Amino acid sequence: MYGKKGGYRMKRYDLIVIGAGPAGLSAAIEGAKKGLQVAVFDENEKPGGQLFKQIHKFFGSKEHQAKIRGYKIGDELLKKAQSIGVEVILNAVVVGIYPFKEVTINIEDKIVHYKADAIIVATGASENMINFKGWTLPGVIGAGAAQTMMNLHGIKPGQKILMLGSGNVGLVVGYQLLQAGCELVAIIDAAPRIGGYGVHAAKVARTGVPFYMQHTIIEAEGDSCIRGVSIGKVDEKWCIIPGTEKHFDVDTICLAVGLSPMSQLLKMAGCDMEENPAKGGTVPLCNKYGETSVHGLYVAGDVSGIEEASSAMIEGRISGIAAACYLGYMDEEEMEKEIGQQEASLNSLRQGMFAPGKKGQEIKTTDEGYDVSINLLEKGYMADEEVENYPGVKRVSGIHPVIECTQNIPCNPCQDSCVKNCILIGNNITSLPVYDESSRCIGCGMCVASCSGQSIFLLDDDKEEGFSHITIPYEFLPLPKEGDMGIALDRSGVAIGQAEVIEVKSMKAFDHTHLLTMKVKNDMGMKARFFKQLKEVSL
Amino acid sequence: MRIEKHPILGDIVKGKKVLFTMDGKDIEGFEGEPISVALKAAGLMVHRHTKKGSPRGVFCAIGRCTDCVMVVNGKANVRTCVTPLMSGMVVQTQYGVSTKAI
Repeated sequence: MYGKKGGYRMKRYDLIVIGAGPAGLSAAIEGAKKGLQVAVFDENEKPGGQLFKQIHKFFGSKEHQAKIRGYKIGDELLKKAQSIGVEVILNAVVVGIYPFKEVTINIEDKIVHYKADAIIVATGASENMINFKGWTLPGVIGAGAAQTMMNLHGIKPGQKILMLGSGNVGLVVGYQLLQAGCELVAIIDAAPRIGGYGVHAAKVARTGVPFYMQHTIIEAEGDSCIRGVSIGKVDEKWCIIPGTEKHFDVDTICLAVGLSPMSQLLKMAGCDMEENPAKGGTVPLCNKYGETSVHGLYVAGDVSGIEEASSAMIEGRISGIAAACYLGYMDEEEMEKEIGQQEASLNSLRQGMFAPGKKGQEIKTTDEGYDVSINLLEKGYMADEEVENYPGVKRVSGIHPVIECTQNIPCNPCQDSCVKNCILIGNNITSLPVYDESSRCIGCGMCVASCSGQSIFLLDDDKEEGFSHITIPYEFLPLPKEGDMGIALDRSGVAIGQAEVIEVKSMKAFDHTHLLTMKVKNDMGMKARFFKQLKEVSL
Repeated sequence: MRIEKHPILGDIVKGKKVLFTMDGKDIEGFEGEPISVALKAAGLMVHRHTKKGSPRGVFCAIGRCTDCVMVVNGKANVRTCVTPLMSGMVVQTQYGVSTKAI
């Protein structure tokens, strides 16, 4: 039909998935499980979408692969897809979706036609940007670019960096910049409150990185590339307040100002679309199975509304199952049962303060009725007097966990990790962890290592007269060793006194989170939360 | 600029060392890594100048924004952030859509 004489036949698949990220691969695996012949096309050289750049431990519960680092989840997905016979075709840019599920793909500068009986679009999202004077200068990059450079290609995006944006992307990438050995001069945001998880902000703040809320960039300075940046505080009308300007010498500015669904293909395919700010932009209207207004054309992941990788994987599974049913590979009753399970899992992630429906809302108390820490929201760390308000923090003798997890976020590995059942969250995974002091903590540290937010510490005021022993999660190089002297930093990153390393525990089960135990004067036990090496050897 | 050892990812594994040229100058890089990574390791920030003469470098690093395009082996508009480096590549600063300033 499209080829010259004797030539071209369109290749057919039961299911074509567009995008080999977490949603696309999960969808393909479900489809293949049900017996569908599945092909996944991706424009990139490697599959996995953004998963292989995610080096932090994921949130959620066991069923969501909580406390496993993103890139390992990516590895597992790929292995599964391969073992089940999913064909993944890379360097293949899908350029069009036409009636009757015809798909055109640019492969090596040639347009190739494919035909499917069902299509799942899982193209993900693209980064937003923001304009300011000098924003086109080399050295202004997306936060995703920073992640790509350091976590995929092993190169620092810069030496001295300013991060614009305090959502989870800005916070997580900010921390990863520190891990890569870069200097992060500040995280700034025009919003009055930090947008991402408090625990992500706290782990950056305690290393000494300041947060400037209600601040924005005035100018990126430099002639051929960035040499510095000036920022200023904004008023209610987003105008710079004179006299609030600050300058930083930086060679890189990272922008983490949100994501937009990449839904162009769906619009082209004729799907009914809507402009939905809560979902991050233009998204297709779809039902609970992810099916769009075009029968047999499904969506999953960020393209249907910005969330994160854990929910994208579940959405992928749902649309994969639904597509299998649509094509007659399973009956409706069976489909409803399977999708019901996936929905329950998705629902448990979508609870709490950061639930998709709560975007932009000011939340003053937790589900349990505890006041939310204003300092955490405005500065990135809790004030000393706030910490003890929460159920994970109790003053008891002997070694015990101090759980500084104070927002309702979907996460429960700490509960699973404690062999003595000291930590209780219950069935609702967004509940705050409660430390049950009637159970005896043995100081194994599994909770410290398993906390994806790095917000659990072990405190022992009774081991040594006059001193407190504090165990903190530590994910930096060079790794300090027993006997090293250094400085204890408090939650805000301010030096509060001398610290001596008592022990550094590294175990396979900790997955690169080392447990560093330091000794500080005993009035600092509830304050010291980071260990700064005296002579920082440059990496 | 290269990270030799990473606290989570461990040793950074790269392809074999290769030579290529950047505006006539020999530069070392690793085979298979994006051209832009080798350039960054060599300290190069400016990949091209727009028609109006303003400098551009890597912005998205995933082949989406086209800010990092250069002339590679004589072909203009090559996205250096997603094009794997090969031995002997001839990479040139792009001015507008060609190698020479207009």
